[in-house]
Amino acid sequence: MTRNTIGEHLLQNGVSRRAFLKYCTAMASLMALPPTMGRAMAETLRAARRPSVIYHSFQECTGCLESFTRSFSPSVESLMFNVISLDYQDTLMAAAGHRAEEARAQAMKDNDGEYLLIIDGSIPTGDGGVYGAAGGQSYVNMLKEAGKGAAAVICVGTCSSFGGIPMAHPNPTGARPVSEIISGKPIVNISGCPPVPEVITGTLFQYVSMGKLPELDTLGRPKVFFGNSIHDRCYRRPFYDAGKFAKTFDDEGARNGWCLYELGCKGPTTYNACATVKWNGATSFPIESGHGCIGCSEPNFWDKGSFYAPLSSAAFGASGNVSPREAAKLVGAAAVVGGAIGLGAAAISRKRQETLAGAAPDKKGG
Amino acid sequence: MTLRLADIGVRVDPGYGLGGGVTAVLHEIATRLERLADTGEFDIIDLRSLPLSPADRDRLQSVLGTGEVEATVKIDGESKVRETGIAGVWWIEHRDADGVVIADLLEIARVPEILNVAQDELGRGAAALRARIARGGNQAIQEAP
Amino acid sequence: MDLLSFARGPGLYFALVVFTVGVTWRIVGIALLRSGKLLSEPRTSLGRALFGGFATMGSRSWPHPEFVGRTGAGEALGYSYHIGMFIVILAFAPHIQAWGAFLGFTWPALPSSVITIISVLTFTLLLAVLFRRLTHRVLRLLSNFDDYFSWFITALVIVTGLLATAHVGGPYETLLGLHILAFDVLLVWFPCGKLMHAFYIMPSRAINGYLLARKGAPS
Repeated sequence: MTRNTIGEHLLQNGVSRRAFLKYCTAMASLMALPPTMGRAMAETLRAARRPSVIYHSFQECTGCLESFTRSFSPSVESLMFNVISLDYQDTLMAAAGHRAEEARAQAMKDNDGEYLLIIDGSIPTGDGGVYGAAGGQSYVNMLKEAGKGAAAVICVGTCSSFGGIPMAHPNPTGARPVSEIISGKPIVNISGCPPVPEVITGTLFQYVSMGKLPELDTLGRPKVFFGNSIHDRCYRRPFYDAGKFAKTFDDEGARNGWCLYELGCKGPTTYNACATVKWNGATSFPIESGHGCIGCSEPNFWDKGSFYAPLSSAAFGASGNVSPREAAKLVGAAAVVGGAIGLGAAAISRKRQETLAGAAPDKKGG
Repeated sequence: MTLRLADIGVRVDPGYGLGGGVTAVLHEIATRLERLADTGEFDIIDLRSLPLSPADRDRLQSVLGTGEVEATVKIDGESKVRETGIAGVWWIEHRDADGVVIADLLEIARVPEILNVAQDELGRGAAALRARIARGGNQAIQEAP
Repeated sequence: MDLLSFARGPGLYFALVVFTVGVTWRIVGIALLRSGKLLSEPRTSLGRALFGGFATMGSRSWPHPEFVGRTGAGEALGYSYHIGMFIVILAFAPHIQAWGAFLGFTWPALPSSVITIISVLTFTLLLAVLFRRLTHRVLRLLSNFDDYFSWFITALVIVTGLLATAHVGGPYETLLGLHILAFDVLLVWFPCGKLMHAFYIMPSRAINGYLLARKGAPS
């Protein structure tokens, strides 16, 4: 199947050069690329063909898709109609049941080795994968089959990227991230619970406009969006540096917009674009609304202790963060053990002292 | 009554350790302006990529001032192109059809690229005009671009 | 499990257990040792001797006027970096949070910039102390693994802490993980070496002072 280039497609739809330049400038800004890149992207994109995209949802809550559809720039419509060809997404597509499955099979056949596979949700592998199935096929098998002919796999959300909430302790369904099931294919992780909408569409846009996958960090995430920690780009950073911290969610410091580190903000250990791209059409991001970052774009964020305990505090105990009571118990018990060993050691030493001094046993200890 | 963001008593404490970034941006603009003057090389600064607080932006705006030119580009939402009080520094704000800001830039150039007309467009424009003259020059308004 | 989760979790737990067991072991073991009999008649009353013990804790903590020329520099260095360390440990906001989890209460912090300056100064002083140990002939001959390792682990905690706050040399979570891990190692090493002086120094001065006063030679 041959498709128009995006340039031809846009020209047919009466998209002017200025409109295209504006669009690409906005994209470059979104992706924190050098702003002059907008023009270079415009040229590559004009010559590119719209890739076929197959979007599978597995063990997930549809929050990622909800986020995806709320992308402002590029909007999901403009992306779907202009830049990609979304051939399968069971929630968005009009077809259902066997018709939908046929469309998927057809798209996979027509674009073998070239389609982009988007996965949202983790994959339950426990008990032969029975915890997730559609159309009589387990998710794990669907993923393996769809993965074979894909040019690349894009994991949308923390679940498909790192396992997410389904994989949280005790992981009853044996949930696994895509990277543990698919091998030999480039995998891009767009983590977040959910990911920032523009980060999802931006990564797809970049793939098409640059003709290659973006540069990835050690966790397989695009560096343009995940290169900086929330803390590094946080507008409240000057207060951290000045040692000005909110102590509760309603004190003077909280009202004055001081740093939320002491209230458990995970900004320093979380890599995402929230602080720059922001949410809801660049309205704000959680810290701007007065709540600390919960670190949702990092692996195992659900199992890393309380969202409200500061990063520098100890991370053991029943709640995941030690309480004074638990600490006292631990230190007390260890002190009893230490004291007992000390008693034994002293008894042995005294005996030796006595032998060395040749002294008679002295009950008072001298 | 719906509660709006502005109604919540959260504000940014002004003047505490903030604002250092503005001076850096201003120096950056000056350097690029000098380069434009020397080599003719244009440049763009993406304001959204910089961690500026609203107070910082206001300061930046007040230092740069307002110039003589203000243009509106109407394509899929409005784009405002404003000349600042510093010749060669243009403040460009792109909005999408919903009025949401999608890019906020300072372009350091003689004329911002978005206002310019490309070489191939000149050719196409001339051809379109000839076609209109040939048809009697009366249906110009009806013709699509 | 990533480095930071390990360092803050099982690593810290293990280190705390080893630290507490080791410290109580050593203190109890020494406190219950037989001490030498006082063979002479007590020269002072028990009350005065006890006061002598207290006084010695103070007097031994200050350079002796006669030797100040030789020991003054070393003591000044020692005091300065100890004070610096205590300020950093007790007045840096993230440290106070760590204490708070154990104690259940917190206190006001110093600005992080002030803490950074003090940490850099403290580390510089630690370098000076090491330089003195390496260049002072007698001191060098007296030094063993304990001296160097105790210095190393203390310095490592300071350096990793500085790197973590400055975000230099790696991602914050790795640096913070290394910082806490270094602290874990320090806790484990604490009862094994000279770091125990934190618990011994004052009691041993007091006991010495008491004995000397009892023998009629209050210091």
